[in-house]
Amino acid sequence: MLGVGNEGMSTLPGLNQIQFEGFCRFIDRGLTEELFKFPKIEDTDQEIEFQLFVETYQLVEPSIKEKDAVYESLTYSSELYVSAGLIWKNSKNIQEQTIFIGNIPLMNSLGTSIVNGIYRIVINQILQSPGIYYQSELDHKGISVYTGTIISDWGGRLELEIDRKARIWARVSRKQKISILVLSSAMGSNLNEILENVCYPEIFLSFLNDKEEKKIGSKESAILEFYRQFACVGGDPVFPESLCRELQKKFFQQRCELGEIGRRNMNRRLNLDIPQNNTFLLPRDILTAADHLIGMKFRMGTLDDMNHLKNKRIRSVADLLQDQFGLALVRLENMVRGTICGAIRYKLIPTPQNLVTSTPLTTTYESFFGLHPLSQVLDRTNPLTQIVHGRKLSYLGPGGLTGRTASFRIRDIHSSHYGRICPIDTSEGINVGLIGSLAIHARIGRWGSIESPFFEISERSKRIHMLYLSPSRDEYYMIATGNYLALNQGNQEEQIVPARYRQEFLTIAWEQVHLRSIFSFQYFSIGASLIPFIEHNDANRALMSSNMQRQAVPLSQSEKCIVGTGLERQVALDSGTLAIAEHEGKIIYKDTNKIVLFGSGETLSVPLVIYRRSNKNTCMHQKSQVQRGKCIKRGQILADGAATVGGELSLGKNVLVAYMPWEGYNSEDAVLISDRLVYEDIYTSFHIRKYEIQTHVTSNGPERITNKIPHLEVHLLRNLDKNGLVILGSWVEAGDILVGKLTPQMAKESSYAPEDRLLRAILGIQVSTSKETCLKLPIGGRGRVIDVRWLHKKGGSGYNPETIHIYILQKREIKVGDKVAGRHGNKGIVSKILARQDMPYLQDGRPVDMVFNPLGVPSRMNVGQIFECSLGLAGDVLDRHYRIAPFDERYEQEASRKLVFSELYQASKQTSNPWIFEPEYPGKSRIFDGRTGTPFEQPVIIGNPYILKLIHQVDDKIHGRSSGHYALVTQQPLKGRAKQGGQRVGEMEVWALEGFGVAHILQEMLTYKSDHIKARQEVLGTTIIGGTISKPVDAPESFRLLVRELRSLALELNHFLVSEKNFRIHRKEV
Amino acid sequence: MVREKVRVSTRTLQWKCVESRIDSKRLYYGRFILSPLMKGQADTIGIAMRRILLGEMEGTCITRAKSEKISHEYSTIVGIQEPVHEILMNLKEIVLKSNLYGIRDASICFKGPGYVTAQNIILPPSVVIVDNTQHIANVTEPIQLCIGLQIERDRGYRINTLKNFQDGSYNIDAIFMPVRNANHSIHSYVNGNEKQEILFLEIWTNGSLTPKEALYEASRNLIDLFIPFLHAEEEKLNFENNEHKVTLPLFTCHDLLAKTKLKKKKKEIAFKSIFIDQLELPPKIYNCLKKSNIHTLLELLTKSKEDLMKIEHFRVEDVKHILDILEIEKHFP
Repeated sequence: MLGVGNEGMSTLPGLNQIQFEGFCRFIDRGLTEELFKFPKIEDTDQEIEFQLFVETYQLVEPSIKEKDAVYESLTYSSELYVSAGLIWKNSKNIQEQTIFIGNIPLMNSLGTSIVNGIYRIVINQILQSPGIYYQSELDHKGISVYTGTIISDWGGRLELEIDRKARIWARVSRKQKISILVLSSAMGSNLNEILENVCYPEIFLSFLNDKEEKKIGSKESAILEFYRQFACVGGDPVFPESLCRELQKKFFQQRCELGEIGRRNMNRRLNLDIPQNNTFLLPRDILTAADHLIGMKFRMGTLDDMNHLKNKRIRSVADLLQDQFGLALVRLENMVRGTICGAIRYKLIPTPQNLVTSTPLTTTYESFFGLHPLSQVLDRTNPLTQIVHGRKLSYLGPGGLTGRTASFRIRDIHSSHYGRICPIDTSEGINVGLIGSLAIHARIGRWGSIESPFFEISERSKRIHMLYLSPSRDEYYMIATGNYLALNQGNQEEQIVPARYRQEFLTIAWEQVHLRSIFSFQYFSIGASLIPFIEHNDANRALMSSNMQRQAVPLSQSEKCIVGTGLERQVALDSGTLAIAEHEGKIIYKDTNKIVLFGSGETLSVPLVIYRRSNKNTCMHQKSQVQRGKCIKRGQILADGAATVGGELSLGKNVLVAYMPWEGYNSEDAVLISDRLVYEDIYTSFHIRKYEIQTHVTSNGPERITNKIPHLEVHLLRNLDKNGLVILGSWVEAGDILVGKLTPQMAKESSYAPEDRLLRAILGIQVSTSKETCLKLPIGGRGRVIDVRWLHKKGGSGYNPETIHIYILQKREIKVGDKVAGRHGNKGIVSKILARQDMPYLQDGRPVDMVFNPLGVPSRMNVGQIFECSLGLAGDVLDRHYRIAPFDERYEQEASRKLVFSELYQASKQTSNPWIFEPEYPGKSRIFDGRTGTPFEQPVIIGNPYILKLIHQVDDKIHGRSSGHYALVTQQPLKGRAKQGGQRVGEMEVWALEGFGVAHILQEMLTYKSDHIKARQEVLGTTIIGGTISKPVDAPESFRLLVRELRSLALELNHFLVSEKNFRIHRKEV
Repeated sequence: MVREKVRVSTRTLQWKCVESRIDSKRLYYGRFILSPLMKGQADTIGIAMRRILLGEMEGTCITRAKSEKISHEYSTIVGIQEPVHEILMNLKEIVLKSNLYGIRDASICFKGPGYVTAQNIILPPSVVIVDNTQHIANVTEPIQLCIGLQIERDRGYRINTLKNFQDGSYNIDAIFMPVRNANHSIHSYVNGNEKQEILFLEIWTNGSLTPKEALYEASRNLIDLFIPFLHAEEEKLNFENNEHKVTLPLFTCHDLLAKTKLKKKKKEIAFKSIFIDQLELPPKIYNCLKKSNIHTLLELLTKSKEDLMKIEHFRVEDVKHILDILEIEKHFP
């Protein structure tokens, strides 16, 4: 965050800051706030009182290090101690003790928490702010109905509506509504109070008929009426306390608790002055809200825009953790209450520590981090992914929306998103628009609003003043949009600038402008602002690009981009993949594992990450960038991590690309590549997979890990050591045994699968007392074993489960089927790898590395790739790197094109290669076919764009099925590679087979290979005996399932045979 | 490209080196002209030369490294700054110059501390290092770094993902191609009444051979490919070769080849020009051989029986079948 001293300066905020701030707020404020809510607990006889002395709580530094927590699958957490006291009321004795309440997972420098050895991140939720919103809707007759929606702190809704006859209703459920009079009297005000407190009593009175009057005669009858409507029960229930309590719990607590923010919003919207600590909905609120609603009916007052960001609030890590802490304290309170009573009953003398256990807090946090939808596993594909993940804003989650039901309007971009939520960075698919990304400069304000910075333009002082504005405030200012820089500084006064004012775009004189934006990236998220020439791209493609950059695989040899936006350094720095010097000093020792720094009287050892696995199976590896004996400044980069070079994010490679069709090998977004990318390891990446196996205790005894596995080929066991674990450093192929494990079992024939039994019968294998349950390397898993870990966990009752982790590293060259993408949403699959002499070549003989299809550009409208491509060529020739901020066109017309052409021209001149820039077709060049040497018909665009290799790799996807498991209910093959599933033969595939008239294949697909159980088993039998497989006669299993489902709907579907001779009916079971 | 006019004789076909420079120890450049050519000839020669230069040239590379101390490629050695994998990558980059056949051994024995460069490689006599300064590793502690290397000469590139020996040796992906880049351009002019052309050839090499040598090698390669056409007919060719084949014990011919290298060179060329298509093999065997990149008789002969057995779907009968066919071929009049 910016300090007070340099308000005029605009620096990029720390990109992880949103997470750190949230966590600090929780530790600083949230903890005490919740602890203060902890009540004094007395026992039933009121002899003892238990209370917490909140002022002295302590968080202890974690006993284990972050790295060890990950290594040993533990939680990186800190113990919370609070002093508590027991007061004996009779003797006025106080016993005070510091007690251990539980563990709170801490946040590390990446903005994540480590829970059970897994990096987890809590993403921010964006919710409708509690308060009241007036809207108008057209009902089915086309008459506008005005509603006022009261939203509670928990997301519950209470709707007030005024109908055609000016009657005011409160909607209590989807179908039922009650009159406002009933609601207010149920909340405790009588008719006189109601009429005194409203502006238009006559409307309320006209609403009042005899029947109504009876209902609101007393509070009790009103509550009874309310309950009858709310719970939809008929008759005349009597008025018991329990009914009141149920209503309290189900209605008022959920829909009427406003919270602090809600009270503030309510006061502001309805011009009330109810004190801040009154966080519950009062009858006065309801009545004033009804008044306003009547006003709306008569076109007084303004309607609210629910989607405006001022009506949203951010529920950050702080709030989520605080809620959980509150929940844990409530559980603790109940527990203490129980134990106090118990202790008194058995005449034990309790101490504060005896009353309290750490379970409620620890388990609450464990289940929160493990199960809450907003607590996600940190995606660590590459450095960008890590940092973007923490900056997500989600409409989903508890109290929010769901992907299936959210409306289009809420997913849409709103003008208040400017500078706060990125208009382009969102997920694709069902959650489009519901998961957004925070804009670069935005920050979270006091009341959960997103604030965006602006420069204030004031007449009085020359000094530029920067201020952060919440969405409710910036509407009232005229904000000059980016174009101000294009103005001639001399005569600013005469200039007319485009500006934003109250969700409109205006063109106004410069002196009317109040504010201006600070930075051209201000509107975008990190992902989007890494796209050069983004202003030339269609938003949809920019969206894809910002998502695909997060899927880029770190390559074995990274390379900086030639054309970038200048944000690469900041991203790499904040991502935590670099090793940074914490203080200045001299390098006194350096090797692959660590760098030792000596400075200001202390030595600092910086451990380096070496071939470590990320949770997306990519490889994290740090390479030192400093020399021994050199002096280092504070903050200097000591080592580059994965996908960073010289402290800059570098996700891909600059390769020579031509946009031309080539024998159809690049039609429909396919990509043709040169074998240079293979043999020079240009797109080679490392992937580390973790294989895990556990030993259990079965009813027949514990499982054993051994290298003596019967009935297995010696070949498969060649990599095992004498303990039965794979030897470190051995090369393993698919099917090899990684861990030999034997499970004891009863010698029984029937426990095997049918095909297994068949094999046993053929090979004559005897039934043994143990079954091999070895860890086998799955298909496509070949590689080098780089780590073997044997973890012993302490389990209860004398049984220690053992977990073995095997880490296997694969080196993957680019191959046919891999996905590659540029930074403009131009993605494709490698279709063919061509020898370098066959690739098209330039006029200097250089063969092209990749061939893209030019038809991929016009319909996708991502012209930025062309600019990048040409500028990349100039940069490659001139050995220059360009960092281009977006929207350079504000300086002059066609600035991007001018820049690219001038650079190309310079490159052409400097290297005296006229073909780089030819005025007749600038940016294009005549190139030749590598196979024939003939020039292609047209000049072709060539250049050096930055191309990424994405994590969608063919090795992880290729799959086939010959036999496997079937779904339990339908008896059809499972789907998915992980389950050894088959490919669905859907209706269109069936049509195709029908079209070709291949009846036998079709029958095979639908019976033997699918859900005809009997036929399936016969196949196995005939395989041994020989002969033809009999045709299945009856219906397959899924049809029988259908019949049974119909029967459960009381529809009988059956199969009858009518005899021709005697017309007798034979019923057949389907 | 065609900037200066080069005066050449119009009579006989001549070549000339117009420009030659050494940009660095590992980047040589040469420009050649060939003239006078008839219209169209320059293109024919140019593209053929470019493709041969880029695709067919042989080079020498380190293909395997072996060290006792390391547990795997992704481990680190105490006292050495680079991880093992990076050292292997550095070894891959080293440019060697040789004209050897078969596999040779080399080694590095270095006592730290200091920088290990290409200079520290102890090579067999026929192999020379092009750039002595090529970096291999930085040893920071006084330790002994011993790496056994294997050197091979081949063409193209080789990526070894398969088959790894368990004896602690590691395959290095080898790039044998010595020519970095090649280009040709044509300059046509009118000489009297007829149109004539000059062919310009530009060659960039990695220093293991000069552009001039590359040109020579490429021409030799190209000529070797055309040799079969010089012989009158296919059958005769077979007949001619059969005499040699009788003397050669089948499937061990590569051993013999190594011994009597020069003498057999010619024969080898002849075998090279017999394609397995001509052997009238059953389709299955034919397909199997094609799939495992055996196209010529020579390639078939250099494979040992064991090698053939390793081919997918190949059975003992098939090998026998091949033997029979070759036998028949031998006795064919």
